[in-house]
Amino acid sequence: MADPHAPAAADAHGAAADTHASTEADHGSGGLPQFEFQHWGGQIIYLVFLFLVLYLLIDKIFAPRMRRVFDERAETIGKAVEDARRVQNEAQNQAEAGQSELAEARASARRSADAAKARVNEDIARRTAEAEAVQAGRVAEAEGRIGKMRDAAMAQVEAVADDTTKAIVEKLTGKTATAAELKAAKGAA
Amino acid sequence: MADPLHQFQIQKIVDLPDVTLPGIGPVDLAITNSHVAMTIAFVVVVAFLAIVTGGAKVVPGRLQSVGETLFGMIDNMTDSIIGHDGRKYFPFVFTIFLFILAMNVLGMFLSFTATSQLAITATFALLTFGLVLVVGFARNGLGFFALFWPTGAPLVMRPVVGLIEFFSFMLRPITLMLRLFGNMMGGHIALKVFAGFVATAVIGTAGAAGFFIAPLSLGMTVGLTALEFLVAFLQAFVFAVLTCIYLNDVVNLGHGH
Repeated sequence: MADPHAPAAADAHGAAADTHASTEADHGSGGLPQFEFQHWGGQIIYLVFLFLVLYLLIDKIFAPRMRRVFDERAETIGKAVEDARRVQNEAQNQAEAGQSELAEARASARRSADAAKARVNEDIARRTAEAEAVQAGRVAEAEGRIGKMRDAAMAQVEAVADDTTKAIVEKLTGKTATAAELKAAKGAA
Repeated sequence: MADPLHQFQIQKIVDLPDVTLPGIGPVDLAITNSHVAMTIAFVVVVAFLAIVTGGAKVVPGRLQSVGETLFGMIDNMTDSIIGHDGRKYFPFVFTIFLFILAMNVLGMFLSFTATSQLAITATFALLTFGLVLVVGFARNGLGFFALFWPTGAPLVMRPVVGLIEFFSFMLRPITLMLRLFGNMMGGHIALKVFAGFVATAVIGTAGAAGFFIAPLSLGMTVGLTALEFLVAFLQAFVFAVLTCIYLNDVVNLGHGH
């Protein structure tokens, strides 16, 4: 950190005084260039001027612009979140509606299935009853016919028995038995 | 080896005539390398903010994310430290933060670091201190002096503690000024010194020892460069945090102090 002018001062004593003096003047009294107060005024005035201009620019233009962007962003985000929430609610509502619709459809399907089953059962029962009635009619009719035929057969059996008895009696006695005698004999038998 | 202090030298680029201001005296209005560095920082900040907020979209791009992170960071800070009124002081804190950050970071790329100039850091410190005073008196009137009356201390101790409070309050601009200045200057001197060692070793001035000095110093320089980027951000952040804390003292004076 040697003073670059020092060797020159050591070399030539005559010129050294001047050189050294001017160096001292350049460096100021304390040695630090920052303490050369003749340069302070210009720097301070210029800095204050620049500072004021920058302050006004930031205060009037840049800070409001920045805040506007921040506000805008907060608003955008808020709106997006709100939108998302609304859409979500809507979706949930729709899902619930779909669920209830599905349940309703299921219930109505079950209802109509039950109704169809009941109708079919009723139909079957009715037809069965009808068929049974027809069968019963026919059976009754057949029974009637059978009864009649039996009665007729029984009547013929009586006549045959009468005839046979008459014939036996004639053969045995030689006399013709009267109807009253036949009847009495039949009753006694 | 090059003078490590040379980088802090103010050099006139365009010399303009001195102006005599009333009450201040003659002021040199020359455009210096310090003015150029400040102007570049200013332009970078304005361009950055213009790009970030110009085509601002709801879904941010890369640069917009960076801008919004910085914005949100300072916004949260003013809100959490100062409270509900913090938003009113946000532009001031954001301005000071971005301006110092730009100057610090540009110091890593340019040959001149504006925030390593005492005049610059003093101006920032006085702007903050001035705002604290103005807000303090505007909001509380003479009640501002309650700041130095510690109601929590025993009555006998109050004048003593109050005096200490007063001095610590008056030292705030000085600590603000020196912290930023010292960090930036110290870091850049260290960088220059270690880089100078590398150059010294490479040209052979250090002889055979140069074989050890050069890689070691180069490693230090690389490490310090990384550290300086961290410091550049951190010091701007610290300045902003302290500005918020000092503002909070006077904004919320009387309740919860």
